[in-house]
Amino acid sequence: MANTNAIKDYGYPDGPTTEPDFLHVTKGIKSWMLTLDHKRIGMMYLFGILGSLIVGGAFALLVRTELWAPGKTIVDQDTYNAFFTLHGAVMVFLVIIPGIPAALGNIMMPIQLGAPDVAFPRLNLASFYLWCTGAILLIISIPGGLDTGWTLYTPYSLETRTPVLIAVSGVFLLGFSSIFTGLNFLVTIHKFRPQGMGWFQLPLNVWAIYATAIMQVLATPVLGITVLLLAVERFAHIGIFDPTLGGDPVLFQHFFWFYSHPAVYIMIIPAMGVISELISTFSRKPVFGYRFVAYSSVSLALLSFLVWGHHMFVSGQSRLANMVFSALTFTVGIPSAIKVFNWVATLYKGDIRLKTPMLYALSFLLLFTIGGLTGLFLGILAVDVHLHDTYFVVAHFHYVMMGSTLVAFLGALHYWWPKFTGRMYAESLGKVCSLGVFFGFNMTFLPQFVMGARGMPRRYWDYDPQYQIYHQLSTIGAFVLGISIFVTVIYLFASFWTGKKAPRNPWGASTLEWQAPTPPPLYNFEKPPVLHELYHYDDLVEVEEDRWEREAPTEVEADAGHGGGKP
Amino acid sequence: MTEKPHEPHAPHGGDHGDGHGAGDAHGHAHGSPFIQHHYDDAQHQFDSGKLGIWLFLAQEVLFFSALFVAYILYRYHHPEIYSYAHKYLDVKYGAINTAVLIFSSLTAAWAVRCAQLNQRRGLILCIALTIGCACAFLGIKYIEYSHKVHEHILFGRYFDPCVSSGGRELLTRNNNCAGTKSTVVWDAGAGTATAGCFADIDQDPRREGVQADCTVKEYTLTETPRRVRAPRNGADGKPVIGKDGQPVTEEVEKIEVTETFKRDLPERCAEEPLPGHGEAEGGAEAAHHAAAEKFPCWRPAYQPAVCKKGVGILVEYGDHEEREHLRIKAECKPPPKPADAGDLLADRSQPLELGVPLIQPRHQLTVHEQHELEAMGPPPEHTNMFFTIYFAMTGLHGIHVLFGVGVFTWLLIRSIKGHFTPDYFGPIDYAALYWHIVDLIWIFLFPLLYLIH
Repeated sequence: MANTNAIKDYGYPDGPTTEPDFLHVTKGIKSWMLTLDHKRIGMMYLFGILGSLIVGGAFALLVRTELWAPGKTIVDQDTYNAFFTLHGAVMVFLVIIPGIPAALGNIMMPIQLGAPDVAFPRLNLASFYLWCTGAILLIISIPGGLDTGWTLYTPYSLETRTPVLIAVSGVFLLGFSSIFTGLNFLVTIHKFRPQGMGWFQLPLNVWAIYATAIMQVLATPVLGITVLLLAVERFAHIGIFDPTLGGDPVLFQHFFWFYSHPAVYIMIIPAMGVISELISTFSRKPVFGYRFVAYSSVSLALLSFLVWGHHMFVSGQSRLANMVFSALTFTVGIPSAIKVFNWVATLYKGDIRLKTPMLYALSFLLLFTIGGLTGLFLGILAVDVHLHDTYFVVAHFHYVMMGSTLVAFLGALHYWWPKFTGRMYAESLGKVCSLGVFFGFNMTFLPQFVMGARGMPRRYWDYDPQYQIYHQLSTIGAFVLGISIFVTVIYLFASFWTGKKAPRNPWGASTLEWQAPTPPPLYNFEKPPVLHELYHYDDLVEVEEDRWEREAPTEVEADAGHGGGKP
Repeated sequence: MTEKPHEPHAPHGGDHGDGHGAGDAHGHAHGSPFIQHHYDDAQHQFDSGKLGIWLFLAQEVLFFSALFVAYILYRYHHPEIYSYAHKYLDVKYGAINTAVLIFSSLTAAWAVRCAQLNQRRGLILCIALTIGCACAFLGIKYIEYSHKVHEHILFGRYFDPCVSSGGRELLTRNNNCAGTKSTVVWDAGAGTATAGCFADIDQDPRREGVQADCTVKEYTLTETPRRVRAPRNGADGKPVIGKDGQPVTEEVEKIEVTETFKRDLPERCAEEPLPGHGEAEGGAEAAHHAAAEKFPCWRPAYQPAVCKKGVGILVEYGDHEEREHLRIKAECKPPPKPADAGDLLADRSQPLELGVPLIQPRHQLTVHEQHELEAMGPPPEHTNMFFTIYFAMTGLHGIHVLFGVGVFTWLLIRSIKGHFTPDYFGPIDYAALYWHIVDLIWIFLFPLLYLIH
């Protein structure tokens, strides 16, 4: 055992901690509802998000069941419209956007920084309650049968009798929740880095959350004002998006995508950050090209503001605008490719351990590559005219939003689960389910590329029998996927009772959160964490299965010039 | 402080492992009681808050940006709407509000200074002045808004300046115009003019109507003046005094007077009554006399009373607002063809382009002159869009001002309680920064909306 006093100084022993962990520091429902602790707030987000995932997933399975055969299978057309709208709205606004930043980012990012909390704990709690209120409003529009699609395009969203007003109020509040979370994280990363942690000693997950937060703060307000105008338009008929009064419905699309394209990157960039951590840890190698990976996150964030028009190639944009947006869209491929190549280079000659999080990370590599490259197809003007609003688009964005973001979310959940719950999950079940997710996902969405290219339009309730085989493959895949995720949620929660106690560092990871006790106490560290060289694994040894400790210090030189928190 | 080795975020001793109950009390022992526990010191908290508020302001700019983009877009595509509609806004009110807000920005900044220097009375005064200015701004905005509500100069489908302040349409189908105005509209299709309050014409009567050479031939007005008397006390013969201290009046009778004039009414409203009227004495005639002091007259009108329902000659018929009905008959000659009219006028079956003047000027009009010319006529199509933008922008700005009143009221209470010290004045600084951006947005809105020319 390396559990000696010499090592104790470096913050790694698994002995009894002097402080109670954050789960047990106070008791009672009130202590959770009014907590200012970022970990508890993150946990509450996590439960909300997993609940929404199950709701959104249920709607997805209903949609896929309806599409088993042409014509009516289980529901009529209007109900089907409501189903896919609610699947999209719940998954986008309640699951994928807040999934990694608000839930896992809230729990882990301050600890990765070595900070005691986020900069504004009360704002953090306020963001959570905004999220809850928004989520409730969005969910209560379910019985009303909201049928506009998650995109809420005008003029239909002005005319439909379904509860658009309630849904957009929800979206407005969710938007501000996202803005305040991003603002909080930006200030935390700027002002709460410990002495010696410069910008290039930040874990890549923190870089990714930083890039995400920029977009959350700068893009989401445009969504806020857009849905506000839509709401006012609906009850006061101000006419700004209403062509009969001289308004411009395409303006809504511009505003909507000015947010919603960056929103796609709000979804994917934190996933990329997580994947950098997972691939480095489970290959026992520093991330190849650390600075390039960090810069590519930020450049993706900036480029994301310049490409919204590629959603509108067939909406009557000018030809010049189409060409500019198309060209800019291709530039997005560069930082994305930098990341993928660097991850692959990190894997090269690494000491790869195929734990569940790593299986998810490898799935991500494949699925993100497919999702990203098919995006380039859609960025080509001529091809887009053919593929626009077909299942090809559906498959493309599911590869990115689900195959990449949700898979990374699941990987991150498994990776950090022992840290914040203090329990190991069932590893063998985890592996089986991660394979189930991978194969189920591909079975669901690969056929959709084919039928989309052959002309099957998206959002249709009925279809030509020639597409039936693809729809049936897709439906079977969706159930495999759904069951895998459902089992995952079950065994994760079961680990609270059945899992064995987790050590401080079960994965041999090098970032600061693994120095904190498991689960961490209220202010995360019993004593100031010791900065080691980032992603440096040579002195980490596995003292027993799933328990790693550091042998000797490799402290990094204090870099006073970059220290945060001090003027 | 910066020399001290940074030992951030370490628990400050072991004294807080418990005691972080439901509220996770973030209070501190050292310095101001408002320094939260997870910050190193007051400076750290202040800097974090400052970065936070700047990010919030960046968010605010983006929040308003969509409206500015919409403004630019509609102005680029429909400049005529903007040059026409801006005249509905009163530059005076806008200018006063600009001055008020700039002054309040000064008092907000001064409040920060007072807090830094620990001048508590100055701080309270500055915050109170800021709140006062914000309320003055909102008061003036209320005057402007209520005026527009009365005139039906609103957004979207509620833009209808043809509706009188009483809610009745100035131009009605039944030729019965309440109020003091009526119109004569040249109907190009029929080749005749129809007098009265015009409701809808299929053809676009605007240009022809304006040009029509009309004479009002006949009008009938009906009015119901009330005759009243003051009852006297039976005992002493003095007037009965009511609760308000004025003599009580009671209605004696209603008299309906219907009068038809068949004569050419003078163009331009005369100062004197028409001959033959005004000499009658007593009773109903006296009432009638009062009603007829200013006789009907008419004048061409192309401007604000004109609305999308019809344009023509505005008839003013005196000062009798209680008058119920007016019927007018008029004869109009077709507008003379201008000698130097362009090709557009040669073929009357072609609809005229809005904004092309009948009398072609000798030089090519500049864009500005073109808009000036159009501003003389009826509103261009979708003038409502200007007011959509106007109400959206000023409304959202007004909500921000209202929010600022709330924030400064909270700060006023805290400063009266003496919470702010030179160590801890962050909230004042942040609120002042917020107030500056609210001010700044107005400084953009004022010229963009009020000073279009």
